[in-house]
Amino acid sequence: MTTRTHPGWFTRTFVHGISGWVTLLTYLFMLLPIVVLVAFAFNAGKSTVVWTGFSFDWFVKVWHNRNIVKALHVSLIVAVGSAAIATAIGALAAVAITRREFPGRDLLGAALAAPLVLPEIVLSVALLVFMTFAGITLGYGSMIVGHVLVSIPFATLIIRAAAASLDVRLEDAAADLGANEWQTFRMVTLPQLMPAIATAFILSATLSFDNLVMSTFTSGVGTTTLPLRIYSMLKLGITPEINALGAMMVAANVAILLLVMGRYLPLMLKSNRR
Amino acid sequence: MRRAARQRLEIGAMLAPSVLLLVLFVLLPLCIVAAYSFALRDSYGAVLPGFTLQNYADLFQSVYLLVFVNSLELAASTTILCLLIGYPVAYFIAFKAGRWAPALLLLLLIPFWINFLIRISAWVVLLGRGGLINQGMLWTGLIDAPVGMLGTYGATLVGMVYAFLPLTVFPIYAALQPIDRKLIEAGADLGAGPAETFFRVTLPLSLPGVLAAALFVFVPSMGVFAIPVLLGGGKDIILGNLIVQLFLEFRNIPLGAAVSMLLLALAGVGILLYMRALRWVERMQ
Repeated sequence: MTTRTHPGWFTRTFVHGISGWVTLLTYLFMLLPIVVLVAFAFNAGKSTVVWTGFSFDWFVKVWHNRNIVKALHVSLIVAVGSAAIATAIGALAAVAITRREFPGRDLLGAALAAPLVLPEIVLSVALLVFMTFAGITLGYGSMIVGHVLVSIPFATLIIRAAAASLDVRLEDAAADLGANEWQTFRMVTLPQLMPAIATAFILSATLSFDNLVMSTFTSGVGTTTLPLRIYSMLKLGITPEINALGAMMVAANVAILLLVMGRYLPLMLKSNRR
Repeated sequence: MRRAARQRLEIGAMLAPSVLLLVLFVLLPLCIVAAYSFALRDSYGAVLPGFTLQNYADLFQSVYLLVFVNSLELAASTTILCLLIGYPVAYFIAFKAGRWAPALLLLLLIPFWINFLIRISAWVVLLGRGGLINQGMLWTGLIDAPVGMLGTYGATLVGMVYAFLPLTVFPIYAALQPIDRKLIEAGADLGAGPAETFFRVTLPLSLPGVLAAALFVFVPSMGVFAIPVLLGGGKDIILGNLIVQLFLEFRNIPLGAAVSMLLLALAGVGILLYMRALRWVERMQ
């Protein structure tokens, strides 16, 4: 025990020493469940716990489950639809906020980020009440609007960050050469923003595809999304089918994350070198 | 003159979709919910026009008070656990990991990015009676018979921490990372021990990140409904579960609206407290 001879005992153990151990244990805690889930998706037996051999049976079963395939179909339509709308609206607002002067600019910027801090469940309930109030039948429309609300803060923030770093002189040059606002936007600003817009679209589509809360309140008859289907399957009890479905979704999520982060990781590595 | 008018028109066209979206689908619906929270309801569940404070008074019934207490307790436990675990992790990534820092951040983004329900289902498997945790404890002789862990408060708490932990690490890391290493060295040069340097330099400088982390966890955790159902067996329900039940099962929309307003108010209080605390921290520095 070197407790008395070293006054820094506390820090060495609890700040330096422990931070390493806590980090290691935290990463095991965060990643092991996913590894186990993916591994047991390849289990031959019906058990989600006892390993009885390797097989792809459960993946085949998932693709033959008509409920799951239908839900996947619904989820894809809503994801693509809402991401397209969120990205389009977000891009217009982001460019206006960063490149144009107008009254209430800061307010709009804050309002577009507001769904980030407001509880999603309250926004969902409000939309459900509004749709009922307006006499609109729940379905693709209500769900797409809801998912646009969930993803628009992210879409706008990503495109705003890119728009803020654009070279103003290019737009000025276009204006000097006689281009109007719309021509400048379409031929000068938009092409430069394309990478950010693509990122915003992918993130929005993923957020929509994984969404449970908003879909719980805004889906209608026959528009059950994949997360809603998984939730009701989980309430009945876990099956290897969910493991197989989960493994596929893990693969898709990780692939998308790497695709998006692939662009930013080199930048992060560079900025971290000191 | 004509150019200015034209420019105004074009800016208006760029802004119209987002303003319309926010007004029509956020602001107006929230106003309707606020109005409904004071409305009456007939025995079939339809909302009747009128003004009553009964819905808010009903929230003081012991059933609902219990839900409220449960929510605050679960949110507080989740936040404290996330901060206690997340701070050392963020500290390690910011100060110790060196060139591995981006890889560690990415590894934490993966579980955060994977479908929420799939992550929870992984824990349903692990915590089950025949699950790997029980089997591991049986194998090592820690227990003689499988322990029922699913359907307990502990299982809910594990799921909540699992879901929210990355959200605490990222803002704390973002606050720790830019701290000038020379400040820390200066503390050491001036004779401060590592503990003193940590508590007088590093921790105060990272407090804004800690506050942001607490805000990201505390408020959203009260609106969660899937974790208490899937891992906690639906026994300890929180505000999120109550809202789902009132709107989708019991069709008591005025009462559900009142609960929603309560959650919205809590979120508002959380944001105000955060801004207050942030200003206080900045003054201290």
